[in-house]
Amino acid sequence: MESSQAFERDLSQLLPRLRRFAHALSRNPADADDLTQGTVERALRSREQWEPGTRLDSWLYRIMRNLWIDTVRSRGRREIHEAPEDEAQTVGSDPRDALDASLELQRAMAAMERLPDEQREVVSLILIEGFGYREASEMLGLPIGTVSSRLVRGRTALLGMLSGAADG
Amino acid sequence: MVEEEKFFAWLDGELTAEEAALVEAEVVADSQLSRLAEEHRAMATGLRNAFGTVEAQQVPERLRQSIEIDRGKKVVSLADARASRGVRRAPSLWAQMGALAATLAVGIVTGNMLSIGFLPGGASDPIQTEAGRLVASADLENALYAQLASARDESGPRVGLTFRDKSGAICRTFEDRAASGLACREGGDWRIRSVFQGSEGQSTDYRMAGGPNPRLLEEVDAIIDGEPFDAAQEKAAAEKGWR
Repeated sequence: MESSQAFERDLSQLLPRLRRFAHALSRNPADADDLTQGTVERALRSREQWEPGTRLDSWLYRIMRNLWIDTVRSRGRREIHEAPEDEAQTVGSDPRDALDASLELQRAMAAMERLPDEQREVVSLILIEGFGYREASEMLGLPIGTVSSRLVRGRTALLGMLSGAADG
Repeated sequence: MVEEEKFFAWLDGELTAEEAALVEAEVVADSQLSRLAEEHRAMATGLRNAFGTVEAQQVPERLRQSIEIDRGKKVVSLADARASRGVRRAPSLWAQMGALAATLAVGIVTGNMLSIGFLPGGASDPIQTEAGRLVASADLENALYAQLASARDESGPRVGLTFRDKSGAICRTFEDRAASGLACREGGDWRIRSVFQGSEGQSTDYRMAGGPNPRLLEEVDAIIDGEPFDAAQEKAAAEKGWR
């Protein structure tokens, strides 16, 4: 059936973006690919719940976010925000160093690691994935004011971590 | 001073034109705010660029496979499977041929029957006949032997899934513009188990093509033992000569 094939094709095309969001949520490449795979499997199983004509990307991001919450819960990973002290220092390392792309990614993931979950998901959706406030609030099931205030806190913390040595 | 959330909403383009103009005027007049806006813009750009490297990476094969495997199951299980592109385009003769190839020594399938479709023909055909048997062409043989699905190139036969069948033999699916099929190791050779008409007429860009014939995936489902190989297992099997 055409619509079934279209669904799979669109899902395939969204894989790079899903992986990007998964990296931002999980801050770990292995977890990110497991999370992406879990999302794909869940999406395929519940594909009839997606309404054609609505945005597939938002629907998939919502599945991924819920799956990540389940994963964290089942693992009982409470240690997530406790980045070690020395890591905190490398996060603010001199940006004039010629860091290659993977180091930039590690640095960004280390900074994201130190945000509370609820700020990280808002920062990921809006600053990295480029969704609007309204779209993010619908995806997360949160009032837009909550999204906006979490975003302010999250990005302010990130600026402190990532741009500490921005000038000079 | 402009309220913090409003400042960021302005930065993110979330305000109406009217509101934005008001905030902008304040920012322009305040060097500290201007500087903060610049810092946040640069930080967001850096963050996007850093995570953009993930988006630019090649998607791991296992993720693509989880969609392809599902496609096989799904389409086959749907009542309207015949309406699907691959099946509709495949004359029933091809299905019969696939079944023959799977169950018989393929001596029967020769001459006239083969000339109906893509077999045999130019040197670029993936499958040829040799003493009444279907054999892989040199190109396909090379692809089956050497190609890792995780590192495929864009031309020539393309290897898809690699797995062990219930008898313990390693099998690999392949796809060409003209045909898709399944080959398994038998006595040190790649033996063609089945062949389906391919995605002829579709885009020549494999990434845009509809994927393997659903019947092929149905057959894989029927004979596979466990899960398809991931990239590491595939590589290990290649190093051991597919034994």
